[in-house]
Amino acid sequence: MSHLSREMTKILFQKRTYFGWAGLFLIPFLLTAALRLSREGPPGPEQGGPEFFSFISSSGLYVPVASLFALVGFLLPLLAAMAGSQTIAGEAESGTLRTVLMQPVRRGSLLLAKWFTANVYVAIGLIILAIGSVIAGGAVYGLKPILLLSGQQAGVGETIWLTFLAYIFVLFGMAAVVSLAVTFSTLTNSGLTAVAGALVLVIIMVILGSISVFDFMHPYLFTTHFTSWINIFRDPVEWGPIRDALINFTIWTAGMTGIAWFVFRRKDILS
Amino acid sequence: MLERNDNSPGAETMLDSCDEQSVVLSTYGLTKDFGKLRAVDNLNLSVCRGDVFGFLGPNGAGKTTTIRLIFGLIYPTAGYAQVLDHRVPNDRQEALRHIGGFVDDPIFYKNMSARRNLRMLGRMNGEVSEERISEVLDAVGLSERGESKVGGYSHGMRQRLGIALALIHNPELVILDEPTSGLDPQGMKDVRELIRDLGRRGITVFLSSHLLHEVELVCNRAAIMRQGRVVVQGPVSELHPTTNAVKVLTADQSKARETLQRLFGLSGVRDDEDYLIVEAGDEGQVPELVRRLVADEIDVLAVVPALEQGLEDMFLELTAAEETEATS
Repeated sequence: MSHLSREMTKILFQKRTYFGWAGLFLIPFLLTAALRLSREGPPGPEQGGPEFFSFISSSGLYVPVASLFALVGFLLPLLAAMAGSQTIAGEAESGTLRTVLMQPVRRGSLLLAKWFTANVYVAIGLIILAIGSVIAGGAVYGLKPILLLSGQQAGVGETIWLTFLAYIFVLFGMAAVVSLAVTFSTLTNSGLTAVAGALVLVIIMVILGSISVFDFMHPYLFTTHFTSWINIFRDPVEWGPIRDALINFTIWTAGMTGIAWFVFRRKDILS
Repeated sequence: MLERNDNSPGAETMLDSCDEQSVVLSTYGLTKDFGKLRAVDNLNLSVCRGDVFGFLGPNGAGKTTTIRLIFGLIYPTAGYAQVLDHRVPNDRQEALRHIGGFVDDPIFYKNMSARRNLRMLGRMNGEVSEERISEVLDAVGLSERGESKVGGYSHGMRQRLGIALALIHNPELVILDEPTSGLDPQGMKDVRELIRDLGRRGITVFLSSHLLHEVELVCNRAAIMRQGRVVVQGPVSELHPTTNAVKVLTADQSKARETLQRLFGLSGVRDDEDYLIVEAGDEGQVPELVRRLVADEIDVLAVVPALEQGLEDMFLELTAAEETEATS
């Protein structure tokens, strides 16, 4: 049994896995219901909402995009942090890490399998979010062509393709959060501490990103780039911010996973 | 044979009795520091093929730390362990292919069945057939609960499952950390019988225990650890102090104590619950002991050999020696 299949088996046997996914499935329904029932209508740019929120009632295909926008700031990083923190710290806390490491496994490959599985968990969560959004949006508003941010109309097929790319983009962003949480996970034997550590750092980045004094830091914070996927919904696509974001995510992901790998290889397992 | 250990005055160590080829587990200057605390101090052990090796020591002596070092769970400050030809930590992965066992309480995935746990963890060390899983579950008396979730297991059942996982690949060396802790008397008996059976099958067993009686019952060789150091190791039969101590029970123990102290000296007589333990020196002095008691009109109820005192006496003696050293 490979590390990957074993790690997948483990997450499939945990109830919290299904709670997380079920929550992601329900959120688009709650969001759609809230927007549908709101007397003021969806929040537009003047109310602090994204531009496409104004058009949401014209097509259900806006709902996957709106859901992504609503969750990318906190709930998806929370999910990614939780998945990452369980990799080492969660197992150390329950004591099973000791049992696993008493078998002839390479620590490095075990860590990478756990990192990969945490990302698969987030990816499945995003797929569920997208499916829930399409069902909720389609049921309430119908699946019609949408208006891009640059003003042109995109057909149903093209919109689904662009939405898919946006979700892939967010998955890359969440991989940076997973890697951060995995790093914290190797530094503590408490899953909760690892989640808190990763989330506190994400929140600090968000705060730094919103203060103009720290403008010079903004390009280096991965949180700054979380919403750069919006540029996919322009014609022509603005690749510059997307490219910068992907480079940023890759550096954070590789750097954090590298640190985690280095720490875990020599970590004393005392739990 | 036993001899003094240079590293630890007042204690003794056993010269290795197995040749180099038959050493299954050995440690060389194994040392582990946690900050300023030296948990394991220059440990040199050797366990021969087929040994059922007892690893004794009081709480905090460093037994579990030693086992963690052998499994490569923690990294030594100095020295190394060697399992067959594989050094730990450098060649940890290969070494672990030859070891089964557990350290502290065996922990499993609670939301999975025992069978699934064995399948998943066992396959980390190569293929494991369903028949083999059934065999080891049967060997530890869990065949009827194999499909139950481990979360519903008692502590004793988890201990048994830990032994099942340890055996699943027929390892050459089985390391068990307090395997009978938490078991009921029947469970203890079963596990001890299982360990003896492993020994009979030529499997080397490294058994950590604080139960001296257990080590005497099960092991052929043993080491006693104290404050991170092995203070004595050797055949269990040679670990017994050469003494002819007897336990004496009379109708008037205080009067008997006075009589026996006149005969054997103050240090030759001590209390042990309801009995007096008398260091008789040689067997010929036992009839004289009885004659003196009878002459002083003391009713003798029982005089029995104090066999069970052997290893325990040595253990306490060594621990006391350490305390004396520390005081001085």
